[in-house]
Amino acid sequence: MVVEAERAPTTPMQVMRRLSGIWVSVVSVLVGLVVWEIVARFFIDPFFLPSVTSIFFGAVELIQRGLLFEHIAISMFRIIVGFALGSVAAIPLGLIIGSYLPVRQLFDPYIHFLRFIPALALTTLFLVWFGVGEVSKVLLVMYSTGFIVVINTATGVVTTHKNKTLAAQTLGATPWQIFWLVTVPAAVPSMYVGMRLALAGSFLVIVAVEMLAAESGLGYLIWTSKLYFRIDWMFVGIFLLGFFGLLTDYAWKMIGRHLLGRYVRETADY
Amino acid sequence: MAIQIQHVSFAYDGARSRALVLEDVDLTVADGEFLILLGPSGCGKSTLLRLIAGFDRPTSGNVRMNGNEITGPGKDRGMVFQDLDSALFQWLTVRRNVEFGLRVNHVVDHERKLQSDEALRMVNLSGHEDKLVDELSGGMKQRVQIARMLAMRPEIMLMDEPFAALDAQTRQMLQTQLVSIWSEVKRTAIYVTHDIREALNLGQRVVLMSAGPRANIKHEYDVPLDYPRDQTDPVYIKLLSTLSKDIEEEVTKVWS
Repeated sequence: MVVEAERAPTTPMQVMRRLSGIWVSVVSVLVGLVVWEIVARFFIDPFFLPSVTSIFFGAVELIQRGLLFEHIAISMFRIIVGFALGSVAAIPLGLIIGSYLPVRQLFDPYIHFLRFIPALALTTLFLVWFGVGEVSKVLLVMYSTGFIVVINTATGVVTTHKNKTLAAQTLGATPWQIFWLVTVPAAVPSMYVGMRLALAGSFLVIVAVEMLAAESGLGYLIWTSKLYFRIDWMFVGIFLLGFFGLLTDYAWKMIGRHLLGRYVRETADY
Repeated sequence: MAIQIQHVSFAYDGARSRALVLEDVDLTVADGEFLILLGPSGCGKSTLLRLIAGFDRPTSGNVRMNGNEITGPGKDRGMVFQDLDSALFQWLTVRRNVEFGLRVNHVVDHERKLQSDEALRMVNLSGHEDKLVDELSGGMKQRVQIARMLAMRPEIMLMDEPFAALDAQTRQMLQTQLVSIWSEVKRTAIYVTHDIREALNLGQRVVLMSAGPRANIKHEYDVPLDYPRDQTDPVYIKLLSTLSKDIEEEVTKVWS
């Protein structure tokens, strides 16, 4: 299986192929940066598109002022805590909703009504309810994470093939055993995918919330850069969002491959 | 008498005007018998098997096992599904799949190992225990399903076209293997197929069903031949042509 070979390179040939794959990506990024630098220096007004080097010096300046790492840390804290708590609440709920029709009917109207209300629309309300501190921001990330994970988890349960449950019944499994040993593992792939989508969604929410109602974080950095006409700082914020988004997604993919490997075999490959 | 089916009719819930899939089916299956349910596609032979498995309940009539009415699935009746993937637990290794029933029934360690080893040996999967099932070929997947059933030592082995999705060579090999397993374990086997040769290679008795809806049992044929079946035997050839004609009548009914 090709997938298998890529996951665990064993022969020198496979290691080579893997490395050359990484090099293609590295070269692609370097070429991109050089093209950007040239275009920004010679063809476009730096007010609209600053060069890579000036963004870099902008970042150095922010570090010297001692605020950059704080912005990064606080944004990541809000994202990760909100994402983790949201998932912890959503997974059991999704499993129950998927398994028991009465529970589904009980929650369905709320879930399908609320999930169309973006966290952004609730930002001010949450600030009023939960204060201007971290609680309201974490809760907003939880809110946006929760719906995605609940729906994906429940979908995973509902789409578990009937034959698996029937087979377990002919093998003498009790309903409780079927739930834990068949339904839950069978739903892991869609839980995993749901959480990956929710993680990306968390970045979206936190940036918007920080722009609207925060005194710190990468969203705040981007928003305030406007006030100082520092488009290079704005690009630093934008770049860091992309970078940390990529990093957390990569981390999630590695968790999928190494801890959940046998449950999410295909899902964790892209 | 292992299985006794009396006046069984069946319609799916909510089916239009409760169109009957099966109507007034009577059948008895003897202890230790290898019985084939043969019929054109859509004739309800799988439905009849599901009634014996207890996955569905008859709309009228009853299905009994050793005199007791069947009200649901049970570990005394094992099942092999036609689909290669949907019935296996793809997150488990071959051994864990085979041991699933033993584990949920809290069979002690050494006994469990003994029973799963025996089942794996019978289907020739020894040495593949640690593979995940999606690393296996279609034929091997079906052997895992068979081993998973055998490990539970069910009284009755139900099989729903288990080899229909496989290539001809694999199918023939598995038919031979299945016959030797059946002779070794001496349990009742009820096997659904639409393939006449498969029916004659495996069964001691072939029950031909009429085309649905309102399907019923059309004819029964005894196969008075020793295993492995000699496909050049005049009796085999005679049965093959009789069954072909008989089943063709049913297929024509559906298409005209």
